[in-house]
Amino acid sequence: MTAVQNAGPLIRLAALSKHYGTHLVLDQIDLEVVKGEVLAIIGPSGSGKSTLLRCINYLEVPDGGLITVGPTTIDATRAASRSELSGLRRRVGMVFQSFNLFPHMTVLRNVSLAQERVLGRTRRDADERSMQLLKRVGLADKAGQYPVRCSGGQQQRIAIARSLALDPEVMLFDEPTSALDPELGLEVLAVMRELAESGMTMIVVTHEMGFAENVSDTVMIMADGKIVEKGPSAQVMRNPQQERTKRFLRAVHDR
Amino acid sequence: MTAADFLAILRGLPLTIALTMGAFTAGALLGIPLLAARQSRLLPLRFVSMVLIQIVRGIPPILWLFIIFFGLGMSYVPISPFNAALIGLSLIAAANMAEIYRGALASIHFGQWEASRSLDLGRWSTLVDIAAPQVFRVALPSAASYLIGLMKETAVASTIGVAELAFQGNQLSQSTFRGLEVFAIVGLFYVLLSLPVAWLSRAADAYLQAKVAR
Repeated sequence: MTAVQNAGPLIRLAALSKHYGTHLVLDQIDLEVVKGEVLAIIGPSGSGKSTLLRCINYLEVPDGGLITVGPTTIDATRAASRSELSGLRRRVGMVFQSFNLFPHMTVLRNVSLAQERVLGRTRRDADERSMQLLKRVGLADKAGQYPVRCSGGQQQRIAIARSLALDPEVMLFDEPTSALDPELGLEVLAVMRELAESGMTMIVVTHEMGFAENVSDTVMIMADGKIVEKGPSAQVMRNPQQERTKRFLRAVHDR
Repeated sequence: MTAADFLAILRGLPLTIALTMGAFTAGALLGIPLLAARQSRLLPLRFVSMVLIQIVRGIPPILWLFIIFFGLGMSYVPISPFNAALIGLSLIAAANMAEIYRGALASIHFGQWEASRSLDLGRWSTLVDIAAPQVFRVALPSAASYLIGLMKETAVASTIGVAELAFQGNQLSQSTFRGLEVFAIVGLFYVLLSLPVAWLSRAADAYLQAKVAR
């Protein structure tokens, strides 16, 4: 068999929809993200941006539509199998607003565990890789500590390392700095910027307009479960076309 | 009180300890499959285990011992008083431990499950690596205070003739007519037994708190 080079987008969402009861959270979302692209999703609370992100690795189960990540496509209209979900989740890393480190494990163990359980690496190999990653996020000295001994910014950087340890093809960030004070947020943003520059494909739900404008390639504005506007970051942030986008950005800048 | 009287009470100590530790160990172990059944995705299993837990917890321990010893033991399968008490108390401990585990499980932050899923850890690893250590850690203080309660509960075994502390005290008080002193000593034994449990639980809790408090 010859491997067919996938020239298309790394991620493709087609007509993705999701209801909570009668409330429509995602309304027929179509979205493509190419390899190496950094996409920032911004918009008001309740616009569906977090739900969209969480559908991509099936933490939320959509009601309809197609999700494609690399060679894996899941049809949301039928129940996903265990192996389909694995295929999806192994390609997709996720960083949460509340970090969600495992409090009963050392920092090193947090980063190594899934490498052993999911990738089958030996403890020694996993720990070696973990130390590389902890060094990369500037926290090699915290390896033996428990998460509770780390600041919020440090915990979030550890969470990023934990996710990177599975060698994902795309990283999802769900408001990664929203639970942090501005200074701690900055150290997390620095790590994310470095990750973006290294060529990682990233989708970032954020309220950090600086990141959206300066780090991301593409910015997408969502409101009421729909994509309002999407385009190159400089264009969307400085010269938005849609009235809804202008209103949202005005509210951000007037603050 | 003579030294001989004191020794007579002391003779009940091993059986009290054996009943307590036996029932607690069995309960702590059996509580795990019981919790699993209680949390099962299969409705019948969930229902049966819930009813079982409610029945076991709803009937007074002394009645359970009577049911097992006089009810089953005298008419179906011959059973010694000690075994009857051990079985009865183990059942009760299992139901109570399952509920203690369930409370601890509910206290685990939902973000822990989401992190496990996003890392594709799988059901077994999530259970063994993520949930179980946190459940045991949270359950520890409740389990320790239940252990002390169970230790006192073993006194009901005296009613079916298990020669543990309360039984020995009762015998001695009837032969010496010095009930107050005798039962004061018996009470002191129970207090002395509970102290190391309370102390160990607090020490373990403080140790874990310092390491992994949230």
